[in-house]
Amino acid sequence: MVVTLQSSDSQLFKVDRTVVERSVLLKNMLEDVGDADELPIPLPNVNAAILKKVIEYCEHHKSDPLPAAEEDKDSTDPSKRRSDDIDEWDASFIKVENELLFEIILAANYLDIKALLDLGCKTVANMIKGKKAEEIREMFNIENDFTPEEEEQIRRENEWAADA
Amino acid sequence: MTDPLDTTWATIQTGVDVILNDFEAGLTYEKYMALYTTIYNYCTSLKGNPSSISGSLQQKGANLMGADLYKKLKDHLKGHLISLMKEHDGNNDALLQFYTVQWEKYTRAGTYIHHVFKYLNRHWVKREIDEGHKHIYDINTLALVSWRDHLFMLIQAKIMDAVLLLIERQRNGETIEQSLIKNVVDSFVALGLDENDSTKATLDVYKLYFEQPFIAATELYYKSESETFLSDNSITDYMKKAEKRLEEEDVRVQLFLHESSKKPLISKCEAVLIKSHTLAIQDEFQQLLNQDQVEDLKRMYGLLSRVPEGLDKLRVIFETHVRRQGDAAVEKVAEAAANAASAEGGDAAAGGGEGGDEEEEKPKPKKKGKPTAPGADVAVDPKVYVEALLEVHKKYNELVMNAFRGESGFVSSLDKACKEFVNRNKVCNVGSSKSPELLAKFCDSLLRKSSKVAEDREVEEILNSIMTVFKYVEDKDVFQKFYSKMLAKRLVNSTSASDDAEASMISKLKEACGFEYTSKLQRMFTDMSLSKDLNDSFREQMEKTHEKDDVLDFSIYVLNTACWPLQASASGFNVPEDLVKTYERFQGFYQQKHSGRKLNWHFLLSKGELKANYCKASKTGYTYQLSTFQMGILLQYNTALKYSWEDLLGATGLNPETLASQMAMLAKAKVLLISDGTMGSAGSKYELNLNFKSPRVRINFNIPGKTEAKAETEETHKTIEEDRKLLIQAAIVRIMKTRKVLKNQILMTEVLNQLASRFKPKVSDIKKCIEILIDKEYIERKEGEADMFSYLA
Repeated sequence: MVVTLQSSDSQLFKVDRTVVERSVLLKNMLEDVGDADELPIPLPNVNAAILKKVIEYCEHHKSDPLPAAEEDKDSTDPSKRRSDDIDEWDASFIKVENELLFEIILAANYLDIKALLDLGCKTVANMIKGKKAEEIREMFNIENDFTPEEEEQIRRENEWAADA
Repeated sequence: MTDPLDTTWATIQTGVDVILNDFEAGLTYEKYMALYTTIYNYCTSLKGNPSSISGSLQQKGANLMGADLYKKLKDHLKGHLISLMKEHDGNNDALLQFYTVQWEKYTRAGTYIHHVFKYLNRHWVKREIDEGHKHIYDINTLALVSWRDHLFMLIQAKIMDAVLLLIERQRNGETIEQSLIKNVVDSFVALGLDENDSTKATLDVYKLYFEQPFIAATELYYKSESETFLSDNSITDYMKKAEKRLEEEDVRVQLFLHESSKKPLISKCEAVLIKSHTLAIQDEFQQLLNQDQVEDLKRMYGLLSRVPEGLDKLRVIFETHVRRQGDAAVEKVAEAAANAASAEGGDAAAGGGEGGDEEEEKPKPKKKGKPTAPGADVAVDPKVYVEALLEVHKKYNELVMNAFRGESGFVSSLDKACKEFVNRNKVCNVGSSKSPELLAKFCDSLLRKSSKVAEDREVEEILNSIMTVFKYVEDKDVFQKFYSKMLAKRLVNSTSASDDAEASMISKLKEACGFEYTSKLQRMFTDMSLSKDLNDSFREQMEKTHEKDDVLDFSIYVLNTACWPLQASASGFNVPEDLVKTYERFQGFYQQKHSGRKLNWHFLLSKGELKANYCKASKTGYTYQLSTFQMGILLQYNTALKYSWEDLLGATGLNPETLASQMAMLAKAKVLLISDGTMGSAGSKYELNLNFKSPRVRINFNIPGKTEAKAETEETHKTIEEDRKLLIQAAIVRIMKTRKVLKNQILMTEVLNQLASRFKPKVSDIKKCIEILIDKEYIERKEGEADMFSYLA
C-alpha cells in the first residue's frame, strides 16, 4: 500500500506504507484515522529536502525490527550508550552539512523515528568528542557570551578533569 | 496580548472534543497532523511560559514545556466525564448498556488522544515520571485514572447490582446478553492501574469491586438452591445437578470473567455445592456400590475428590465392601463344593485339580452320603476358587480404574481388601496356606499337558491373572513349596505342556519375589537339560562297548538333591534282574565321570514298559506302562504264575504298604487275580491272569492313587511347618546377632518384618522358636529384666 506524504513546501512523496511506518507518529495516525482516506498526509514541519532524506533512511531500514514500544531501557543502560556503533551505510548517509544534519535530527524527533534520532545525536556527539571549546564554538557557530572572569572560573572549577 | 497557551489550547480542545464526542466522524489526516504539530510546536517553542510545576528545572537550562498542557487536558477530561455522569440514567440493563457503550467510546478516544499527545508523552511526561513525580501519568493512563475517579467510583455499586442480577437470571436459565458483562469485566480489569508504574497493571479494582461481590452472590445463590433441591430430590439427582452447575461456572469464567477468578469462584462453588453436603453424599455410597451404579459412583468420586478429605470415608467403605464381596464369592464356592461333595460322596474330597484322572478311577463306594459341613476341609476346585477370587478383583479393579480414575487411595483400599479375602476366607479358615496351595494347583493344571486351554496367549493371560492373586498371598513360601513339587513332577514325568509357558511363569515369580525365590526352580530346568546330554553320551558309550541286543532303551534324569523336592520312598526295593545290568552300567558310567558323587535312585518315580506276550486274547500282545515297582512285581511272573503275598514281599523287597498300593491297579485291572484272601492279607495268593483282555494295546497302570495325592498334600503342609520353624529361628538369630540385647516386643516386630515377604508367622510360633533357641543356648533371658533377651555368641 502506498501513502502520499506532503512536505511543508507542498511537494508530494509516494511512499510504501511499511516505509512510512518507521515513523511512530505516522504509524499511529494511519492506525487511528484509518487508511480509507486517500488524501496526502501533510507534514507541516518538514520540507521536501529533509523529507527526501528521511524517506531514504526509512527505505533502507524498512526491514529492521521495530523497536519495542516505550523501550527506553537501552538509554538508561550505560553499556548501550555508545556512539561508535554506527554502521557503514548510516555513516555515509549522515555525512552531510551541519545545517542538514540538524534539520534531520529535528525531523526525526518530530516524526518519532527513534533510530534516526539516535543516529543524528550520535553523529553530533562524535563531532564534539575531543574538541576544544573554541573549536566547538566555531563548528556550531556559537557566540562566546562568557566574560573572561566567568571563563576563568569555569576553568578553575574543571581543572581536575583538564589534565586527564 | 494573548497568552500562547490559550490560543494553543483552544486549537487542541476542539480536536480533543471531536475525538471524545464525535469519534465516528473521525479526523482527517490534515486535522490529526495539525493537532500533533500544534502540540509539538508548543512543547518545542522557547518562548512559551515556563511551567510552574517543573520550576526547579529552569535553572538547569533544559526546560521541557508541557505541564500546563497536561493540566488543561486533565481538567478537560474531568469536565467531560462529569457531564457524561449527568447523562446516565436508568438501571440494570439500561445502565450496563450505557456504561459499556461509553466505556468503549472513551477508551478508544483515550488511545487516540494518547497518540496525538505522543510528543508530550515522550518528553515532558517521561521526564516527570523519571524524576519520580507522583500522579503524573502517560496520557492514556491519565484518561483511565480520570474515568475511575470521576465516573467509575460513583456508579460501580449500581453497575455491580445490575451485573449480579443479570448473572442470576442466567443461572436461572434465561438467555442474557453476555457481552454486557464481558465489557464491564474488561473495564474493571483495565482500571486496575498501578499508581507507581503505569506500565504495570494490577487486578485490585477487579478483585475488590467485581470479584468479591460476585463470589458472595454466588455463595448465597447456590446455598439456597442446593438446600431446596436436596429436600425434594435424591442424592444421585443432586450429584448430577451439582456436576452440571460446576461445569456451568467453569464455562462462565471462560465466557466473561477474568481468568484469575476461576480459582476463587470454583472453590466457593465446591464449598457450597459439595463440601456442605459431604456427609449426605457419602452416605449414599454404600447404596451405589450395592447396585453397581458405575456412572453415579464416578460422579460421586468426581465431586468428592474436589473437596479435602471428601474421599477418606469412601475408601473405608469401599474396602469393607470389597472384602465382603470377596468373602461372599468364596463362600459360594465353598458351599457349591460342599454340596457337590455330599451329592457325590465323600471321595470328592481328594478329587480337586487332578483333572486328568477322572476316566481312570471310579469313586470308591465308601463314606457315601455323609454330609460335609460347609467350610470344613472340603476339596474346592482350584480353578473355580481362583476364578472366584479373580472375578471379584477384576470387577472392583475396573471400578477403581473407571469410576475412581485409578486414584492411589482406592487402589490401596482394593489391595488391602483383596489381601484380606484372599488370605482369610471360608475356604482357608483352616489357615492362610490354603490359598497358595490352591493357586499352585491351578498353575499346575494349567501348565500340565492335557490342559484344556490350548492357546498360548490364553495361558499367558491366565498366568498373569494368577500373578494378580499371587501378589495378595501372604504365605508365599507355601506357594513356592507346592509349585516346586508340582513342577518337579511335571518335569520328571515330562507332562509339562510348554517350556515357554513354564519359563514365563518363573520369570513372573522372579519379578514378584526376587531371584532367590525362583533360583531352585530355575536350577531344575538346568538339571533337565544336563540330563539330556548325559543320556546321549551314555547311549553313545553303550553302543560302542556292547552289542545292540544287550542294551535296554534307557534314559535317566540326574537331579540335584538340594533343588528338587523329591522324597525318597520309605520302602526298599530289589532291582529286578533284567534291569540290574543297565542299573550297574550307568552307576559305573556316572561314577567314572563324577567320582565322589552319590546317586540316590528314585524308583518310586521311575517307570518303564513291559511287553506282555502271554495273553491269550491278543496275538500281538499288550504293552504295559508301569512304575518300576510294578515292573519288579510283574517280572517275577516270568518264573512262576502264582505267588503268595509273602513271596512277593521277599522277592521285590518292597514294604507291605508300598507293595499293596502298587498291586492295587494291577489287581483292579485284573492283570493279577487275588485268591485266598484280600489284598495284603497273610497267605493271600496272586495269580497272573492269562485271559487278560483290554480294548487298548497300550495300557497305563502307573497311576498314583488318590489317597497318595492327599497324603502328599498333607506331607507338604507338614514340611512347610518345619521349614517355617527353621526360618523363624534363623531370623531370630540374625536379628539378635546384630542387636545383641532386645526387648521381646521389638524382636517380634522385627521377625514379622523380616518374614513378611514369605509368610506371616504366628506369634505363638515365634515364642516357641525363642524357647527352642534358649534351649540350644543361642540366646538367653536377661536376668532381672522382664521380656529381655540377649544374644550368646
